[in-house]
Amino acid sequence: MGAWGFVFLAYGIVWCAILIYWFTLKRRLRRAETELAQLRASQE
Amino acid sequence: MNFLNQTLLLLKKDLILEVRRRENLLTMFFFGTLLLFVFHFSFDLVPERVVEMAPGLLWLAFLFTGTLGLAQLFEAERGNHCLEALLLSPMDRGALFLAKTAFNFILMVLVEIVVIPLFWILFNLGSWDIIPHLFLVVLLGTIGFCVLGTLLSAVTLKARARELLLPLVLFPLMIPVILGTIRCMEAILRAGELGDALPWLRLLIGFDVIFLTVGILIFDWVIEV
Amino acid sequence: MAGISTASVKTKGYLGALALISVLLGLYWGLWHAPPDAYQGEVQRIMYLHIPSILTAYLSFFLVFIGSCLYLWKREKRDDILAYSAAEIGVLFTALTIIEGSVWGKPTWGVWWTWDARLTLTAILLLIFAGYLMLRSLTEDENRAASAAAVLGIIGFLDIPLIHMSVYWWRTLHQPPSILRPDKAPWDNVHPAMLTALGINFIGFVLLYFYLLSQRFRLGEINEEIKARLLSRNH
Repeated sequence: MGAWGFVFLAYGIVWCAILIYWFTLKRRLRRAETELAQLRASQE
Repeated sequence: MNFLNQTLLLLKKDLILEVRRRENLLTMFFFGTLLLFVFHFSFDLVPERVVEMAPGLLWLAFLFTGTLGLAQLFEAERGNHCLEALLLSPMDRGALFLAKTAFNFILMVLVEIVVIPLFWILFNLGSWDIIPHLFLVVLLGTIGFCVLGTLLSAVTLKARARELLLPLVLFPLMIPVILGTIRCMEAILRAGELGDALPWLRLLIGFDVIFLTVGILIFDWVIEV
Repeated sequence: MAGISTASVKTKGYLGALALISVLLGLYWGLWHAPPDAYQGEVQRIMYLHIPSILTAYLSFFLVFIGSCLYLWKREKRDDILAYSAAEIGVLFTALTIIEGSVWGKPTWGVWWTWDARLTLTAILLLIFAGYLMLRSLTEDENRAASAAAVLGIIGFLDIPLIHMSVYWWRTLHQPPSILRPDKAPWDNVHPAMLTALGINFIGFVLLYFYLLSQRFRLGEINEEIKARLLSRNH
């Protein structure tokens, strides 16, 4: 694997991981927000 | 009752309980000695290599033995709401911390007094002159272990899988102590004195002082009902 | 509960956009504009990731420390949420730092792993973060979990300088002189474009970090409110 191979390996892993984390975070947020909205609706 | 008296009182309580039941001390003794045998079979300890590996092996033995003691540290207070009672009393919680630390320290030192000479004999480490110096270094390391260990033992008190969690959080934080004691012990084994290893001794003492102070100050928030 | 999150979705949006721009600029500068290093070649470009990553990892731990201190002092839930969020994102960036260091190490030293000071310290940091998160999730009562983790956060932070010293001494006093000393950052022949690349990437990472932190913080706040409402509903 040439030098650029390693560079892209590192950059690839890093940005994929960050994107995956961001997407899962977004999903957790969406779920939590819907649950909260339901609770608020049922309690008000 | 002032701080020191509180500490001594709590310590005395634990010591009396231990003298009567001896379960902690005996298991720790047995485990420490057992480890020595396991090491002999696991590592090819030919005379030339023993001196290199001795500090590390000794410390491994003490770490695992000490962890046994830590897991049991607050056992006495478990039943009958003893812990709550203690916390409701006007006792300074720093005194509780100091007493528990001292208790574990005493247990470990008793084990070390037996294990170090035993290690010496079993692995033919040569002259006995340096054992006192070695012991001093081990004592400083043990203080560090007991201080941090008591803090974390209290912190993990209400966690599930506590026996696994405690070593997991404790060992990375112990690295300065482990490195410090082993480097000092190496120097003593090689040259009979600290020499180059003096900075490590200072690090060790610094560690002990810092976390002893932090422990006393922070223990109020560590143990809660 | 006023605070970071209600300080407006708009600010977070801007933060996110700014982060994205910086990151993209950083990618351009680091991968294209800056020249390859005189000694390390193209592989040195990994440093544009590695150095910002490790700095954000330590920033994270500092925030864990601040959150922990504030929580023990004032007992406000939001400080606990800050600490927990910082720890979670800190684990991510620490793990990435190790991977970057490892991938950089293979072409440079020939091995995927070596117990040099930098990698070892980052691994220890990861262990401490992981321990913090495990303590959090394994402790049953919420409030006790928060206090316990706060104490661990404080102890961990205070220990880090000591761990640093001990690992560096250990590695520098025992390193045979023939082995390359990659800890010495390649600052000898620094082309200004390289410094700029580093700077832009650093800014990008920090902005990205705070953007992720703000989102994770919001998640924490929502979960808190859900718990509170569930509790009051069942009583």
